[in-house]
Amino acid sequence: MNGHLVKDPYNIVITGVGGQGNVMASRVLSNMLVRKGFKVTIGETFGMSQRGGSVMSHIRVSPTAVWSPQIPKGTADLIVALEPIEAIRVLADYGNPTVKILVNLRAIYPVGVITGEDEYPSTTVIRETVMALAAQARFLDATDEAIRLGNPILGNIVMIGAVAGMKVLPIDRELFEAVIRDGMPAARVEANLRAFAIGEANVA
Amino acid sequence: MQERVAEPAGQRNGQGGQKELEEQVLRTGLCTGCGACVNLCPYQAIYQDRTVLLHPCDLAQGRCYDFCPRTPTDRDALRRNFQEAADCTPELGAVKGFFITRAADGNLRCRAQHGGSVTALMALALREGLIDAAVLVEEGEGLLPRSVTVTDPNEAGERGRSRLVVSPTVAEFNRIVRGDAAKIGVVATPCQAIAFAKMRALPLSESNAGIEKLRLVVGLFCGWALSWRKLAPLLKKKTDIARVIGMDIPPSRYHTLEVYTSGETIRVSLDEIDPCVREACRSCDDMTAEFSDLSVGSARLPEGWETARGWNQVIVRTKQGMDLLELARRRGVLEFREAPPGNLEKLKAASLGKKRAAERFFGRDVADEETTQAG
Amino acid sequence: MSLDREQKEGAELLLMGNEAIARGALEAGVRVAAGYPGTPSSEIIETLSRFSEAGKLYVEWSTNEKVAMEVAAAASFAGLRSLCVMKQNGVNVASDFLLHLTGSGTRGGMVLVTCDDPGALSSVNEGESRHFARLMEIPLLEPSDFREAKEMTRWAFTLSEAIRNVVMVRSVTRMSHASGNVVLGALPEIAGKAAFCCDGPVSDPDCGPVISTPVVAKHRLQQEKLRGATTLFEESPFNAYEGPEDPELLIITSSVCTLYSREALSLLRAEGRTGILKLGTTWPVPPALLKKRLASAKKVLIVEEVLPFLEDQVKILAAEQAHEIGIKEFYGKNDGTLPMVGELNPDLVAAAVGRILGIDPPSVPAEYREKLTALTALVPKREQTFCPGCPHRASFWGIREALQRDHRGGFVCGDIGCYAMASLFPAAGFHTAKTLHSMGSGTGIASGFGKLGPFGMEQPVLAVCGDSTFYHAAIPALINAVHHRADITFIALDNSGTAMTGFQSHPGLEVNAMGEAAPMVDIAALCRAIGAPVVVGDPFALTETRETLNRLLEEPGVKVLILKQSCALSPGKKGKKTFLVRVDETLCRGDACGCNRLCTRIFRCPGLLWNRDRKKAEIDEVICAGCGFCAGICPAGAIRNEEAAKS
Repeated sequence: MNGHLVKDPYNIVITGVGGQGNVMASRVLSNMLVRKGFKVTIGETFGMSQRGGSVMSHIRVSPTAVWSPQIPKGTADLIVALEPIEAIRVLADYGNPTVKILVNLRAIYPVGVITGEDEYPSTTVIRETVMALAAQARFLDATDEAIRLGNPILGNIVMIGAVAGMKVLPIDRELFEAVIRDGMPAARVEANLRAFAIGEANVA
Repeated sequence: MQERVAEPAGQRNGQGGQKELEEQVLRTGLCTGCGACVNLCPYQAIYQDRTVLLHPCDLAQGRCYDFCPRTPTDRDALRRNFQEAADCTPELGAVKGFFITRAADGNLRCRAQHGGSVTALMALALREGLIDAAVLVEEGEGLLPRSVTVTDPNEAGERGRSRLVVSPTVAEFNRIVRGDAAKIGVVATPCQAIAFAKMRALPLSESNAGIEKLRLVVGLFCGWALSWRKLAPLLKKKTDIARVIGMDIPPSRYHTLEVYTSGETIRVSLDEIDPCVREACRSCDDMTAEFSDLSVGSARLPEGWETARGWNQVIVRTKQGMDLLELARRRGVLEFREAPPGNLEKLKAASLGKKRAAERFFGRDVADEETTQAG
Repeated sequence: MSLDREQKEGAELLLMGNEAIARGALEAGVRVAAGYPGTPSSEIIETLSRFSEAGKLYVEWSTNEKVAMEVAAAASFAGLRSLCVMKQNGVNVASDFLLHLTGSGTRGGMVLVTCDDPGALSSVNEGESRHFARLMEIPLLEPSDFREAKEMTRWAFTLSEAIRNVVMVRSVTRMSHASGNVVLGALPEIAGKAAFCCDGPVSDPDCGPVISTPVVAKHRLQQEKLRGATTLFEESPFNAYEGPEDPELLIITSSVCTLYSREALSLLRAEGRTGILKLGTTWPVPPALLKKRLASAKKVLIVEEVLPFLEDQVKILAAEQAHEIGIKEFYGKNDGTLPMVGELNPDLVAAAVGRILGIDPPSVPAEYREKLTALTALVPKREQTFCPGCPHRASFWGIREALQRDHRGGFVCGDIGCYAMASLFPAAGFHTAKTLHSMGSGTGIASGFGKLGPFGMEQPVLAVCGDSTFYHAAIPALINAVHHRADITFIALDNSGTAMTGFQSHPGLEVNAMGEAAPMVDIAALCRAIGAPVVVGDPFALTETRETLNRLLEEPGVKVLILKQSCALSPGKKGKKTFLVRVDETLCRGDACGCNRLCTRIFRCPGLLWNRDRKKAEIDEVICAGCGFCAGICPAGAIRNEEAAKS
């Protein structure tokens, strides 16, 4: 790793549903990269995000330049999906044959599925679709792990830990700890560190 | 002739849900407000005296449609279900017997409509254990009646005055049928009696559970009912409607609606009342509640209206109806007098007149629809 | 991780565009900041409020944008640097005052920050505020990255003091809500006493009264100052050219479109053939700089959001200079090279540049594209709706039932806030809300509808309005309705905070933007004072809500119903369940006649699930907020509420 990126800019999409801590996840990850000396741009849409809509953060990482807060279509290098169908939704726009993807398998049903108007694809179908479209795909039950830790919202941190475990970015646990100690009440740090470790171990 | 109620092409019994109910009954002005489609589910309600759709239901078949007295109905099949063929007349349906009665209890007569026979019979049925719950109508706020369930025979006597506005009795039945009552009696207008007959005729199933609890249907003669939204403002101009304690329609030659308040009687010409008549009633072909066990209305007597208004005419239609009336005679709950000659024939003529009017209505209705669509 | 007092000069931080703007104001020594919440602008005042300190920085959420601008102007008149912040719509609200303020001029540096929302990502319009700078004849600055957002805001105060007028800084959602590296500058020592010097003659800009008359003389002065600003712009570092000296194509751009343009050239590998003139000062455009660059290229593409604002200016200038710089070939909005609606992105700009230069933008391999199209079609749409436990869902349920009962075709005039979703997504509001315009206009429209009875309109008219919107703009409309005896039922959906934008304080709360105790202005008392009868209810009490509404709908004149229940996401409620909600499967009627999935099909709370296999409703315990309202609508009594343990 040694602080190098395979591409400039390296394009990350973090996707999920309002309320899953998507914005928090992109901030934590980006802050780790800023501490490593990178120029990072995050583009976010969260105006109505708390109301059940899809939320997507675009993260551009570069050693030198500020890039657009919107990733060009078909150029994601890493997709982190906090929700399974959001993974596929993002692949549809930003997927390419070299993309790597990390998927939390916990479904959050859209209103149309709740009402019975639409069908939610099975986990098998989701896995097969993702694997067919990505160069590398990892799946984990981040929300379940987080519930075991006592708070489902920690699912986003489990996912960040898993990103570290994938070894595609120059980030590690020490860096994570430094970032969260800086912006979080001390009481919550321990649970976040455990969530990170679980995610990291899960894909390592 | 009697099948001329809401006959859209290609529709048969049990072939509709809320959408069809809305298209065929609510939008066409055929809804009587009987309450048959209410309290079955969260989708319909009665507000004031109107049936309203609270939310859309997309089921293709529903009890709301099945139970509605104004969806297509095979009346002959209904009759065969619980009336004897030998009793049937073309004008009045089954007639097992015809009587002039009144409640023996004078106090009860004062509180009730006409002779008080209905109230007396329901109280008797409760007292004798023929039923353990009676669905009756009581006065509500501002002329708006409400249907209530009574289990105490003494309480039955407190209710019995007409406001000529429909009360959702079938809805009240639908509500209590899921409860503790095991034997239920109802006082029903003709349309409500048809709804009950349809409910009884359907196969017993999970969705029709409880209908076997219905043990007694006492029908009311009904020429028409009034729309509360139209009547209330009209009467407000004439009196303080909070003080109204009753209403009646004397024989047709008076052409008057009488409104009783605590202090006075207000007479309103039927010409003024006519616009208040519910649209649905103009197309109704049942004046005497043909689908009841016995049905009761105001009497006509040679002594004139002032005497006659203290009596009722009763058409007994089923064996249960006859048994109840005879029990009332034995217990001294009702007084009887001989029916004047010709009364039954006059009733038949009036009933036939309503059937003809209903037929004419549907003939005219088609033309109206066409012009509306063209507009 | 967000901006705080402890961070030192020189630190390189990841800041949101709005934080960078706030930091710029702090580095300029801003003393008074006022705004009204509105996405995407809200974080600026929120950030500043964390730095508020008596006598050093005063921050407020004003009742509306016009008041915010007046509050900021007063500080300027008293010699302090001041900032007012709003989303684009807010400038419309404030524009009447702004016109007079730019006429009178300012003293302490005064900056207006507006955040536009191209593509209406969280707005009900995509109008833009840039045109106001032209209309009001004040300078306009547009940052193109995060560093510049800070630097430009800081410099805007200097410029304001140089021209003695308001300076406008315009951001967009993709700048305000994006984040990037920013190096912090020093925070100045705050000094200077507030005093309004006003005893001198009208002609004295330092000590006279502050008014916009004599109009013509003042207007002349304003234009002279603006020409001075234009001269400064010629040398401004915020305007820069990158690319070959004689490019085949010259892109003129500003704001975040600069980043899109760079990305487009990178995608097309067209950096060697194309130059980018990035303008930070977009009104008035610096004519000499523009002339120089126009002279160097034949083809010119203007990239901006949303309307052709720069494009018009550039074309006028090119026409004036045509005899010297020659005839140009223009591409932009007017000729359809770029769309005149919606926001731009790197792909749209790349496609436009590609068409002009004859380069195909890169794309994923066709084989992969086909696979993608085939495999991703299975994704169900994700529509927005009220949150689980949201009191608005309950309010609209009650409104729906009352209106259906009433049966006269009554409807709701919607307004701006989360509850706008009732208008935007009909199923979310159970098909009751039928209009949606600007802040408070639901009440004004209702006031008008409420006078149409004599014209034959029989439908009952309702207006809904959130607590914050009530103070912002509904009060005058409500007074109008009362005074003119309009027949309306006004429903205040009081969820105790500006929930839509993140719980900013407002006059209905006992706390202000700086966290200090503040006197609460009571909606009910205010409505009663203007002569409207008021009922206060709880939207979770369905029967009472419905019956109250049905009664009010029968009554003439203005009736007020306040449905009070705090937002499910409010700090006091979030994560705390009132009830543990469960479904008793033995009672659930599912899709049978008698229920037909009322809870999942009609009520549609995300906490409820329809289990297709078991044909029963379920509660998703992770999603359910535990409000318990659904238990009251279940016709079978299958949804059960248990008191949740108090944590």
